[in-house]
Amino acid sequence: MAASVSLRGVSRRYVHGADCVDALREVHLEIAAGAFVAVLGPSGAGKTTLLDIVAGLDTPHAGAVLVDGEDVAALGSRERAAWRARHVGLVFSVDHLVPLLTIQRNVEIPLLGMALSRHERRRDALAALDEVGLTHRAHCMPAQLSLGERRRVTIARALVTRPTLLVCDEPTKNLGRDSADAVLATLQVLSTRATTTIVMSTEDPAAAAWASHVVALEGGHASPVPRAQAAA
Amino acid sequence: MKYLPLLWAGLWRKPVRTALTMLSIVTAFFLFGVLQGVNAGVQSVFEAMSVARLRVMSRANFQEPLPIAHVERIKHLDGVTDVSPLTVLVGNYQQTSNVVVALGVDTDALFRMFPEMKLPAAQAAALARTRTGVVVGAALAERRGWKIGDRIPIVAFNAVKKDGSRDWYFDIVGIYDMEQHNFASEIWAHYEYIDEGRAMDRGTAMQIVVRVADPERAPRIAQQIDELFMSSAGQTITQSEKDALQGMLAQVGDIGFLVDTIVGAVLFTLLFLTSNTMVQSIRERTPELAILRTIGFSESRVLWLVVTEALVMGVSAALIGLAAASPVIPRMLERVSPDFSAIRMPAAVFAWGCVIAALLALVSGLPPALRARRLQLVDALAGR
Repeated sequence: MAASVSLRGVSRRYVHGADCVDALREVHLEIAAGAFVAVLGPSGAGKTTLLDIVAGLDTPHAGAVLVDGEDVAALGSRERAAWRARHVGLVFSVDHLVPLLTIQRNVEIPLLGMALSRHERRRDALAALDEVGLTHRAHCMPAQLSLGERRRVTIARALVTRPTLLVCDEPTKNLGRDSADAVLATLQVLSTRATTTIVMSTEDPAAAAWASHVVALEGGHASPVPRAQAAA
Repeated sequence: MKYLPLLWAGLWRKPVRTALTMLSIVTAFFLFGVLQGVNAGVQSVFEAMSVARLRVMSRANFQEPLPIAHVERIKHLDGVTDVSPLTVLVGNYQQTSNVVVALGVDTDALFRMFPEMKLPAAQAAALARTRTGVVVGAALAERRGWKIGDRIPIVAFNAVKKDGSRDWYFDIVGIYDMEQHNFASEIWAHYEYIDEGRAMDRGTAMQIVVRVADPERAPRIAQQIDELFMSSAGQTITQSEKDALQGMLAQVGDIGFLVDTIVGAVLFTLLFLTSNTMVQSIRERTPELAILRTIGFSESRVLWLVVTEALVMGVSAALIGLAAASPVIPRMLERVSPDFSAIRMPAAVFAWGCVIAALLALVSGLPPALRARRLQLVDALAGR
């Protein structure tokens, strides 16, 4: 069951000595369960900060982050980690796959903490790889894959625990157009199943156009963008 | 077990660095095994020595021979049950690197004085009637491939025969064994055969072995023996076997202190080396560890992973080093003295080696593990 996300007056300020940077300023955002939302904005707009807060990696200075009605920001560090393990899949712009493990073993890593047999872990990892169209590469090493394929592996790694919320921080960054489209198509297919809510950040309007909803983020403020305008 | 591939992948991320670090640990624990093994092995020899046996040596120098007449005078002391002269013939067997030692004693008294030596009666009888006969320890016979009936030629360093040659021949008539099989490694010959055959030092003994009826009276009897020869040309110093051997080794130096100092310095250096490797390894993998945290690994699981990685590297390399040291000890000691060739690495040294390796791994692995545990995810993922 996909998760609904609600950000209410979320602000995040970074303090470095005497310098203060307001990365997010009273952001209000409603994301319906099963939606595929692109957060579009230039570098430094606060996209990563927003996604870190949605995923429970960071907490806001002010405001509430409700995921399926649960205020994630109010949870303690340990509880948030446990909540993240149960509900959130994360994809980053850098894959950080373990180079000496096969693709299948890499995808199995999030399952190691669960009470699953070796056979069950293998089955789930292959199923996740199937969702991103990489079953045939299961026994390859990361170095044998293209950048785009590696990014899709990180999507499989994020999906293997069946999260209700998939948070993708610039998943097409540094990819060529074809590879980026393959990654985006994978996310779009996932969103049509409506079992996972997807929140993706990007600087690329063409990438944002693959999403069902687009939110523009600039100067720490968020505002919805009609899809046609985003594509333009 | 399910974490093993992940651990293994972390360990061999930089194979050259890991291999070099492991090689350093192997070398350090090889040194630890050899030095501590020798030390502990010598201690085990002391412990195996009888307190009911005394060794009488020259007070001037333990290599100075004593007159054989001392034997008869000691026999008459109250509490003494057996006395035997002991002369030592050291030489080469077949090749110059093969050093062997034959001990010449009163063979009638031999098995009463050394009851721990087990020899069939028929072989003891054969020894009694064969002037050139010897009994050899089972461990030594196995090592040399000797059997009853073999003739052993020894080219002596320290005993020239009356005809000017140094070639001595001994016939194996018996093979004895002991409860501590490895210590059955001596060659026992007739004192008379060696003494009558040699050109110099005839009528002398390197040592006199004395067995007393009551071990508790041994110190008093030792004192009586030394008092007996106080005003003679051949003054003596009488000690239990254990004290005698410890005294001889003390002339070399405090072996225990030397060993502890060297091993301590090596392990201290190793601590810095492994700590540096672990710190570097974890620093390089900070984003990777952060990813593990984001995908559900708890702080304590990340800590456990890093510490276990250090443990796997440290303990496995230490095991290799200790295993390599084990067969080296008897070979090395055989070159020092054939008497020590029976020494083996005690199991306690192996166990202590593993414990020290685990402690070193914990000390070197814990700081980077704590750092990994405290990772600020947002900063770590951003590469800050």
